[in-house]
Amino acid sequence: MRIFRDLWWFFKQEKKSYILGVGVLLVVALLEIFPPYVVRLVVDAIEGEKLTTGFLLKWLTLLAVAGITMYILRYFWRILLFGAAFRLGQQLRGELYAHFTRMSPRFFNRRRTGDLMAHATNDVQAVRVTAGEGVLTFVDSLVLGGLVVLSMAVFISWKLTLIALVPMPFMAWAVGRYGKWMHERFLKAQAAFSDINNKVQENISGVRVVKAFGREEAEKRSFHRLSLDVVEKNISVARIDALFGPTISLIVGVSFFLTVAFGAVYVTNGEMTIGQLTQFTLYLGQLIWPMLAFGFLTNIMQRGRASYDRIRSLLNVEPDISDREGAVTRPASGEIRFNLSRFTYPEAETPALHRVQVTVPQGATLGVVGKTGSGKTTLFRLLLREVEGPPGSVSIGGIPVEEYTLSALRSAIGYVPQDHFLFSATIRENIAFGRPEATDGEIERVARLARVHEDILRLEEGYDTLVGERGVTLSGGQKQRLSIARALLLDPEILILDDSLSAVDAKTEEKILESLRKERAGKTTLIAAHRLSGIEHADEILVLEDGAVIERGTHRELLEQEGWYAWMVRRQYLESLIEKGGGADGDEAVARLPQTSS
Amino acid sequence: MVMRRLLGYLKPHRKTLICAFILLLLATGAEVAGPLLAKIFIDDYLTPGIFPAKPLVFLGGAYLGLLLAGVVMQYFQQFTFHRIALRVIQQLRVDVFGKVQHLGLSFFDRMPGGALVSRITNDTEAVKELFVSVLSTFVQNLVLILGVFVALFLLNVELAAYCLVLLPLICGLMVVYRRLSHRAYREVRRKLSELNAKLSESIQGMNVIQALRQEGRLKREFGVTNREHYLANMQTTRLNGLLLRPAVDLIYLLTIMAVLTFFGIGMEESAVQIGVLYAFINLLDRMFEPVNQMMQQLSFLQQSLVSASRVFELLDEERLAPAREGSGNPEITRGRIVFDNVTFSYDGKTDVLKNISFTAEPGQTVALVGHTGSGKTSIINLLMRFYPLKKGRITIDGVPLERYRDDELRRKMGLVLQDPFLFVGTVEDNIRFHHPDLTDAEIREAARFVQADSFIEKLPKGYREPVGERGATFSSGQRQLLSFARTMALNPRILVLDEATAHVDTETEEKIQEALSRMRKGRTTIAIAHRLSTVQDADLILVLHRGEILERGTHQELLAHQGLYHKMYRLQQGMEESQTG
Repeated sequence: MRIFRDLWWFFKQEKKSYILGVGVLLVVALLEIFPPYVVRLVVDAIEGEKLTTGFLLKWLTLLAVAGITMYILRYFWRILLFGAAFRLGQQLRGELYAHFTRMSPRFFNRRRTGDLMAHATNDVQAVRVTAGEGVLTFVDSLVLGGLVVLSMAVFISWKLTLIALVPMPFMAWAVGRYGKWMHERFLKAQAAFSDINNKVQENISGVRVVKAFGREEAEKRSFHRLSLDVVEKNISVARIDALFGPTISLIVGVSFFLTVAFGAVYVTNGEMTIGQLTQFTLYLGQLIWPMLAFGFLTNIMQRGRASYDRIRSLLNVEPDISDREGAVTRPASGEIRFNLSRFTYPEAETPALHRVQVTVPQGATLGVVGKTGSGKTTLFRLLLREVEGPPGSVSIGGIPVEEYTLSALRSAIGYVPQDHFLFSATIRENIAFGRPEATDGEIERVARLARVHEDILRLEEGYDTLVGERGVTLSGGQKQRLSIARALLLDPEILILDDSLSAVDAKTEEKILESLRKERAGKTTLIAAHRLSGIEHADEILVLEDGAVIERGTHRELLEQEGWYAWMVRRQYLESLIEKGGGADGDEAVARLPQTSS
Repeated sequence: MVMRRLLGYLKPHRKTLICAFILLLLATGAEVAGPLLAKIFIDDYLTPGIFPAKPLVFLGGAYLGLLLAGVVMQYFQQFTFHRIALRVIQQLRVDVFGKVQHLGLSFFDRMPGGALVSRITNDTEAVKELFVSVLSTFVQNLVLILGVFVALFLLNVELAAYCLVLLPLICGLMVVYRRLSHRAYREVRRKLSELNAKLSESIQGMNVIQALRQEGRLKREFGVTNREHYLANMQTTRLNGLLLRPAVDLIYLLTIMAVLTFFGIGMEESAVQIGVLYAFINLLDRMFEPVNQMMQQLSFLQQSLVSASRVFELLDEERLAPAREGSGNPEITRGRIVFDNVTFSYDGKTDVLKNISFTAEPGQTVALVGHTGSGKTSIINLLMRFYPLKKGRITIDGVPLERYRDDELRRKMGLVLQDPFLFVGTVEDNIRFHHPDLTDAEIREAARFVQADSFIEKLPKGYREPVGERGATFSSGQRQLLSFARTMALNPRILVLDEATAHVDTETEEKIQEALSRMRKGRTTIAIAHRLSTVQDADLILVLHRGEILERGTHQELLAHQGLYHKMYRLQQGMEESQTG
């Protein structure tokens, strides 16, 4: 019952639907008593040979009116009750979505997408069923069942009612019992199914090995074995499943037998008419459903409660990064300053960054290089406040990032993340993602800047081509350039390119960076790159290793230092030669390679 | 079409099916006979004042006996139908899985693994619903309705004949509902998948959404789809309200009215049969619940058929793995491999290999080196006969590759893949890999040969140590050694190596290198090498670039040539020194 209390706020919110719906349901329940009553009257009249056409016509008309009324009312309670339940589902789903938009990346990193999806689909579904079918079975089983029993007892014979009901509790008990057995066996069947699922998964991902060893037939045999196990486990479910119908038939049959047998006694001693007996058996038929419904009800409520608890606990997670009281709402602007003594991710032990001090004057370009995991992305995430650093450690225009509202902070920054993410929408919509109102001219302009315009025109539907999961597959480089165009459309004060050109060939990269330098004069740019040619022109370059700055300076200065940076520059030069298929030049770099590292 | 093919799967179960049908008929007979007995009792024996003790005992006994027998038969009948359904689905699964085993890699390249798994498991599971609930519901309830009509005809032929009007009425209702609900439910499913797609996309791209401050807009867009989904659901609710139970109940009431009228009017002409009236009403009551149940199954029926058609599509797939051509059973004895002017393309448009020719003499090692996408893996794919060869010729011991039987090729050519694939089972299972003819001693000998025995014996359960999904509990070096042992257990004539790029600790690396050189001894070896240091002793090194052999020769010859190989070598030397120094 607790789930109904937990959902009380919703019942109150949908007061009208629920009161009216349950009301109509009760009226229908009352009306359902009417047809057996008419049958009894007519049967009795035929029996007593007192039936007149007028009498028959009158009652049949009433029956027709009742039937049509019931049809209409039955339609309406469905709309009222199920409609309200669907609205609950809609509302919960909307709340979950809104909640997700307030969460920081940490929230998503700690949970699997599949689990979050399950909350918004399966759990919402279970709660929806509780608020719809749950309320219905509640009313049906308790109110309707009670009403039928009451009318049997009051209008016909309370003695016969008691007799007829004797086997019924056994049915409720048996159905509950079977449910429990079913559940246990069902879990085993599920496990067998998941075994077979894993087997197929393994077979498909290991298809080359299976083929290389020619083990197709053996795999088939092992799949056959597993599929037999699935059959076996499901047969044990079927054994119980097949009990429900016969048990109900048996109990109802016994109840009918008792009714007719004892009814015969009452008819012979004149306590009852034959018509009343007929009416009584019809009522008995109406009792089967409420008894079953009671069995379902407990099941529905249990599931609903577990699901609702899960949804609530998810909604109760407070966003770990949010706006401060009285935060600055004016867009962030000015020089960027990192003054980090140490930053460690909440779940990590070793710091991701330590002793990073750097100032980027407004309009300057900062290059950040280093191996994977050296802390480049963390630096940017701190600036974006995707993760929260020590207070005051990162500031823009002299104001710490946490003193801005998230909106003010992020409105100043165009961010092109490492893992380019496109939405299932047209190319136009993807570029205009951050500014949906942008004109076609503006969109085209940034696409040209990002050197992706030509690529787009080559697609059959141009800017209207669908991309993303269900659209055309673009190359990694094309996706990256689209992400860049998307950020450029915002014309941000600060642009962050987090290794955003790794899949673009060096020549195109150079062209893009060159036009960016022209286009973004006076604006700040932060670039992280694996390919060092991309940051040659930066005003300052930081070389990170394990979260610390090991070298810094301009390209020229760093080359002179003959450290990691200089060694890497030569290595990448050689690599580019090999990619092109080799050639005679570049021997100088080859010659110097081993020496720089020793 | 789909339905007929599905029903074809019932053929092997014909006998059991007939038994179940007979049980079903008997059980239904027993079920409808009950009210008939009650009718006889009420009609013939029940009159106020005289208690019919004897008929009550007699008829009552018969009633209870019938009830009990009916219930027992009902149980076995339901259980049997369910069991047949499970067997049918098992057969379907085994068929589709078996089919997939014989498809070529060109098929797997294009079909996402997740979708394929879902076809084999989830879609067949949906077909199971068709056999377990939909078909059995229909069969049972149709028989029940038939039984009710038989009983009605026994009671009163004239009235029963009138009741036949109900059949087209109910069928009409079903057809209308099926057509409308199919459309409505499809809309619900479409909206739901749209909703789920939006949700999962938003969860995955939330950092982009937040960075571009589009939370508000996406919330609104989600709200729109959410509302459309709600409206679609309301449409099905309306449809169900108009055409399902309320409509069936209305038809039931109209039928009752007709029956009452019939008896009311007929009263003047013949003797009153109250018992008949009682039985009629009672039987009709029993007829409408089956109608309700069948109608509720209609939308599932549609879904199951869609799933079934997807399964059949896979069963009809024609991209089979290349098989043997010609006759005879040539054997690989020496292991001389010749590639003669081989050109190959995966998609028929761009050639990934162009005019590749080389010879590997028995016992020699040929190393393939080159940049990603240079065609190394394609050479191996062709040699393993994973893809059909269209231009050029590959021969082993002078016999064209396509003339060998599958098992001869697989037994004599050992492939070691870059990603050592371990599967769930024990260490021993992974080495044996479904070869029951390998003795335990041979398994252990193979492990010893690649020096995997030392770490296996240190495991708590030794060779019986369980291996988890993808061998996650083992280090990548250990995984490689195990996959070496798997290959060596078969003692192949030819070794095809795709060297791993993953870094392992120095000690394991040494073991791996030692194992590899032992494995190569006396066997013709085609090896993809990522680390040039491992192929310096190769008899022939082929330097590939964009599908062509750019340079060929031994290590010394290639270094002297001062070309691409030379540069690659120096680059790697530099890298290794920077890592160790």
